[in-house]
Amino acid sequence: MASLPEIGFLRRVLYFKDVEEPVLLALWPSFRERRLKKGDVLFRAGDPGEELFLIRDGSIVVSKPVTGRVEQVLSRLASGEVFGEMSVFGDERRRSATCQAEIDTMLYSLDRDSLNRFVTGSPLAAAKFFQQMAQVAFQRLRDSSDLVAEVTRWGLEATGLDIEHK
Amino acid sequence: MSEAGDKTAEGRPKRTRIELLVREADGDGFATQEISSAVAYLHSRPQRIPDADWEMARLPYARQGVVTYALKNRRTEQIIQITETEKFLWGQMDGRASLQEIATSYLLNYGSFDFEIIPTLIVKLLRADLLTMRPVSRLRAVLARNRRNPAARAMEGTLHALERLTVTSRRSHQFFERMYRYGGFLLFTPWAIAALVLMVALGILSGIKIWHNLSEVTRGLASHPIVAILLVKLVFWLTVINHQIIHALACIHYKRRVREFGFTILHGFIPTFYADVTDIFMASRRARIVNAMAGPLFHLFLGGFCFWIATQLQPGLMQGFIAASAILQIQSFFISLYPFCFLEMDGYHILVEMVGVPTLNHDSVRFVRESLWRRIRTATLLTRQETICFTYFMLSLVSIAGFVLLNVWLFSSAGKS
Repeated sequence: MASLPEIGFLRRVLYFKDVEEPVLLALWPSFRERRLKKGDVLFRAGDPGEELFLIRDGSIVVSKPVTGRVEQVLSRLASGEVFGEMSVFGDERRRSATCQAEIDTMLYSLDRDSLNRFVTGSPLAAAKFFQQMAQVAFQRLRDSSDLVAEVTRWGLEATGLDIEHK
Repeated sequence: MSEAGDKTAEGRPKRTRIELLVREADGDGFATQEISSAVAYLHSRPQRIPDADWEMARLPYARQGVVTYALKNRRTEQIIQITETEKFLWGQMDGRASLQEIATSYLLNYGSFDFEIIPTLIVKLLRADLLTMRPVSRLRAVLARNRRNPAARAMEGTLHALERLTVTSRRSHQFFERMYRYGGFLLFTPWAIAALVLMVALGILSGIKIWHNLSEVTRGLASHPIVAILLVKLVFWLTVINHQIIHALACIHYKRRVREFGFTILHGFIPTFYADVTDIFMASRRARIVNAMAGPLFHLFLGGFCFWIATQLQPGLMQGFIAASAILQIQSFFISLYPFCFLEMDGYHILVEMVGVPTLNHDSVRFVRESLWRRIRTATLLTRQETICFTYFMLSLVSIAGFVLLNVWLFSSAGKS
């Protein structure tokens, strides 16, 4: 369990910014503190996933295997950002990417059972939580489609392929 | 990824970058590095298509002092013209040397470097599908993707083994030269035309005679159906060699080179003989047409000859077999001259010469797939070349549909009877 309630920090986390303080205080004992050294792998793509994470301090690099020991960096997450919710709420309970500490990092984790209790115990707060989660998901979807376009452009430039005049 | 949509001071989009994470060989340690598309381009290793799929010939016509070459993709029949320096670069593109290394060797060889020459050449080569940017066939690509599946692995192995069955001789030119000298030249004299006319006339008369005694002739075949079918197929297959030899002799007649003669399994399942007479493209239009006509006319001659022989024989297996072979030869004559079927047979090459669109097959498929719908939507009139492409495509489509329907009808009729 995390030590002292950090309501100020939770307020900075987008997912919890509209959730009332008493609900946050009730949820706080469910948070587990995790500390990662630089380079520690939190989870790999394909691992089973049971919890989401909030970054307290540090930076997490999100990558996807490409070939051999090479992976593509999808994004970097910083303090106040949440990740790992896809395998908690989504229908695919496996991690979709690898998350690894880029520097020494401190995280809070929240497992599926605690989240389910939060949802059933405080439906109004849960609605606000999910509304924010949807916003983040939409933004990540936009980022992903931008990434696809950029990777395609990179491929065209790197190969010298002239599609327009082919 | 960074710099999405950013612009340089000159207004051009910046080169994109991707960020890669490279894990250490032991443990979870890693290092990230940004790689710009420009760096990747310099490190790319362009690879020309397999040697058997391209050919190059020095062009006889050129401006004073400028040496140019025709580089041809044998699969797509696309031909591009390249200069001496581009030929040097093409020679370096073996899939092992990076663009940076190729540029260095160019500099060492010629003493100076034109920064545009490599990108320009690569675009030109890609347009003619002369660099391996995609798998050779979709089937092979699918099989390669599913190598974990034992069935796919077995099929890939079988196709690979079949491809290795190719028997080829690259020194066949001297052989055909000798064959031409010791009598082959007669095929390209007025005497050969007279013999052909005579044989066609004899064949027509003999064919009519056979038609009147058709039941007697077919009875001979029907009494030994398996032997008859095998004999007819075997003899036909042997005549395909002659068809190719005639093409090779025509090539020699016009002082061009026979690059190859051999046997291969076409597309992995059609056993066939072939003569590589593509050097004829460097000859005159008349030479190209004569070369294309020579093979089919051989079938016509043989068809007439077989009909005549059949009328000289007594009813029986031999007469039935010779008459069936005659029909097969006449059929081959028409099929090889029929241009509208998406296959580039002799008739196709003659059509191409007549309409003046060297890559008609390729262009017509591309036009219909990529531009036709846009033309219809904007109600734009088709240019001459587009009209030719569209007509070729439609006639080929109708021909194939007709061929399929005819076969369905034949099978269903045979089933009923």
